Amino acid sequence: MATIKVFLTVNGIKYELDLEEKETLLEVLRDRLHLTGTKNACAYGACGACTIVMNGEAVRSCLMKPEKFNGKEIITIEGISNGHDLHPIQEAFIKAGAIQCGFCTPGFIMSLYALFNNNLKATDEEIKNVLEKHICRCTGYEFIWDAAKLAQKMLQEKL
Amino acid sequence: MEFKHVGKSLLRTDAFEKATGRAVYVADIKLPGMLYAKILRSEYAHARILSIDTSEAEQMPGVRKVVTGQNCDILFGACIKDQPPLAVDKVRHAGEGVAAVIAVTERQAEEATKKIKVEYEPLPFVTDPLEAFKDGAPMVHERNHEYFRVPGFHPKEGTNIFHHYKQEKGNAEKGFEDSEVFVEEEFYYPLVSHVQMEPHGCIACWDSHDSVRIWASTQAPFIVREIVGHMFHIPFANIKVHAPYLGGGFGGKSDVSIEPMVAYIARFVPNHPVRLVLTRKEAFTSSLLGRGMRGKIKVGAKRNGKLVALKASLYYSDGAFGDTGCNVVTASGFVATGPYEYEHCDIDCYGLYTNTPPVGAYRGYGHPEAHLMSERVINILARKLDMPQAELMRKNFLSDGKTNAVGQVIRKGNGDINKCLDEVEKALFAEPKPQEDDNFFYGRGIAGFMKTPMMLPNASSGAIIKMCEDGTFNVNVSGIEMGQGCQTTLTQIAAEALKVPVEKIRISKEVDTQFSPYEWQTVGSITTMRIGNAILQAADRAIQKMKESVAMISDKPVEDLIYEGEWIRSKSNKNFTFETKSLALSYLSPDGHGVGEPIATTGHYYIPGVKFPAPVTGGGDCCGSWTFGCEGAEVKVSKKTGEVTVSHLAIAIDLGRLIHPMGARVQMVGGMMMGYGSALMEEVLFNDKGIIKNPNYNQYKLPRLSHLPEKLTVKFVETPDEAGPYGARCIAEHPAIAIPPAILNAIHDATKVDLFEIPVKPKALLSQSGGGHNGND
Repeated sequence: MATIKVFLTVNGIKYELDLEEKETLLEVLRDRLHLTGTKNACAYGACGACTIVMNGEAVRSCLMKPEKFNGKEIITIEGISNGHDLHPIQEAFIKAGAIQCGFCTPGFIMSLYALFNNNLKATDEEIKNVLEKHICRCTGYEFIWDAAKLAQKMLQEKL
Repeated sequence: MEFKHVGKSLLRTDAFEKATGRAVYVADIKLPGMLYAKILRSEYAHARILSIDTSEAEQMPGVRKVVTGQNCDILFGACIKDQPPLAVDKVRHAGEGVAAVIAVTERQAEEATKKIKVEYEPLPFVTDPLEAFKDGAPMVHERNHEYFRVPGFHPKEGTNIFHHYKQEKGNAEKGFEDSEVFVEEEFYYPLVSHVQMEPHGCIACWDSHDSVRIWASTQAPFIVREIVGHMFHIPFANIKVHAPYLGGGFGGKSDVSIEPMVAYIARFVPNHPVRLVLTRKEAFTSSLLGRGMRGKIKVGAKRNGKLVALKASLYYSDGAFGDTGCNVVTASGFVATGPYEYEHCDIDCYGLYTNTPPVGAYRGYGHPEAHLMSERVINILARKLDMPQAELMRKNFLSDGKTNAVGQVIRKGNGDINKCLDEVEKALFAEPKPQEDDNFFYGRGIAGFMKTPMMLPNASSGAIIKMCEDGTFNVNVSGIEMGQGCQTTLTQIAAEALKVPVEKIRISKEVDTQFSPYEWQTVGSITTMRIGNAILQAADRAIQKMKESVAMISDKPVEDLIYEGEWIRSKSNKNFTFETKSLALSYLSPDGHGVGEPIATTGHYYIPGVKFPAPVTGGGDCCGSWTFGCEGAEVKVSKKTGEVTVSHLAIAIDLGRLIHPMGARVQMVGGMMMGYGSALMEEVLFNDKGIIKNPNYNQYKLPRLSHLPEKLTVKFVETPDEAGPYGARCIAEHPAIAIPPAILNAIHDATKVDLFEIPVKPKALLSQSGGGHNGND
């Protein structure tokens, strides 16, 4: 099978990879780079569990083929904190009780990471629009909403 | 009772791992030499397999083995052995596994499945339980009556009935003669999917012919062990089932799902771990579905509102294999009355083979189906009696001293449903109901519920406590953390019992059947109660051991010693203190010898006195614990579209003792939203060939943030349960039970339309409610 050479930066580390044309960014992250924090729950962009940040925008990694992510800068859930001291959005999810089974959590966090990086003054409507694209089967969303608002407040206070 | 840890919202012990993406689920595991499996699945709902040709597939790149069920004589099951790991002579549902390809990569395996040629002879099929019940219906299992089954399951030879649970109390016929007012209706609860965010996954590796390691997305590693042990006649002790974090279960990962098949195919490539992770589509078509009930119910009451008699028949579409759903069928019979006392009951629950994916446990386990009927009927009866529904409910609630359908007398310690109704009413009717306007009808509805965990009489939980030399404790349990928060609540219980800060407790994070204590399975919402009690026993034993060691070291008798966590003191001598951590590995005396035993203990618990239902009446002490509560909904129904918007969901539940307020609330809200999904959105649909039409997130719609009602009420009533740790009882599935009838009752309040089926179809509701522009647009 034909392969294509792809350059990409993931969480600050540069990679040069020979990929199959069909390989999605989700597969590259999970299977080749062993970054398994990004989850596969549908593989067709409907649930948001595989959301990562690409060149500053939240995208569904399961929909990204090599031509789309070649040369791009990727941030995954593993890349937003050093693993000891958490990013405020992660802290907010823990404090607000927004985490249950945890399978949807990285996707929610990465969407909010992109949103608040781009616009920390996002309106409630804008936050809701982002969260609406994600499915959580456990929490019923109440505490996820609380976590998003708490994260925004914590980030604003850090400025 | 004063608590240090119980009743406080400790930060979840699993949250850090999950927030950082570090929590490991099955699909995240990579093992040396691992191979990948893909399954060729039936495209027919029911067909005879005439031939399978795998020769071309075997030649495909990367393929190590192609496995079919053709020479397989294994049938497995926990209660009824009616499932083969792969289809043998025929397929019984679209999506059933026909052949497996094991290859070096997942893509190679998938490519090779396309080269397998299967010749089928299509057979007539049936997906509806009432159709399956009829004489002359297509037979899903010709050998129905021949399968091995444990006592208590009653198949009917020559039919699709694999189990008939009959339950009688008093004399229903006579009860109806004594009744003055009647309601008789039929209901439908469709097949739905659990849609756990994590699709099912399993890895199996045979290390020798009688030794296997399995990693599974399971709520039931010890059931996996049991079933795999029976399938291959290998020593259970040689089977190692690991259960890492579980990305949602809701019953759909209880008992077994894909594990027997993966264990079966992996046996053909010994020493290689074989991994199968389902696609989202397969999770719909080829794991387990939930519910699927058509029911008929008749109740009779006196004019004063006293309920007298109930007759109910529940017909379950249980799909291709009955083992998965047989106990759901029985459980629904236990609660067909809803939380009310009827003097006379005649309840028939039928488990029927149909040509759908197998149907199993789903949050509520037969209770939501039963309550859809009981709580709608109470609403209708109240109107017939011209009595407020709440008054009718209060008159008949199964409260202290009343006898339920199986014949158990409800105790005060089972909880106070009256208080729950008070709380829901207070919240729901706090403000006047909005007046009907040009755009909307408005309505409010209430519903009660009761729930019992269905289990084997000896279903037990274990706990192992090991003290470390710095005074911290490893608490090893086998409750599966699937989001419900058991790791955290059990940490609190352990800290409370051992009288140490929660930071000194480390609860186990992965279950391994060779290292972890026995646990029947994490189902029935009973983890806090059963493992909590096991922890209390292990903690008591650890404390006793510490006291015995101190008694040996000092001149104080055991009875004189008081355990205070980090210190042991003496009742008789206020100056005597002894630091407990020095006892952990057995005490090292100053003159250099060891005293006492290391502090490592076990504890166990099962609910005493639970029995199988009695053979004739179907009753007896077959329910080990009860939880009561009420739910409510406020809705508005669009006059233009019939769309239902829920503006308020409410629950009040008597949980005995609130262990973790935030955790309990999120369980309640999540469960209510699951009930919301069933009431208004979710339904697995079949096309005219018996194939699921909507096995994906785009067509099977799930609640999202925008569906969350503006207002949520969650109230906890605390009537301690004598049997529960610190008084706590089961609560996790419960919020999903009575939301559908509460919403339908609210829809009637708004529109005067009585609905008997879910999910609500807006167009049909619109035409029945006389909304729209006279139906002309």
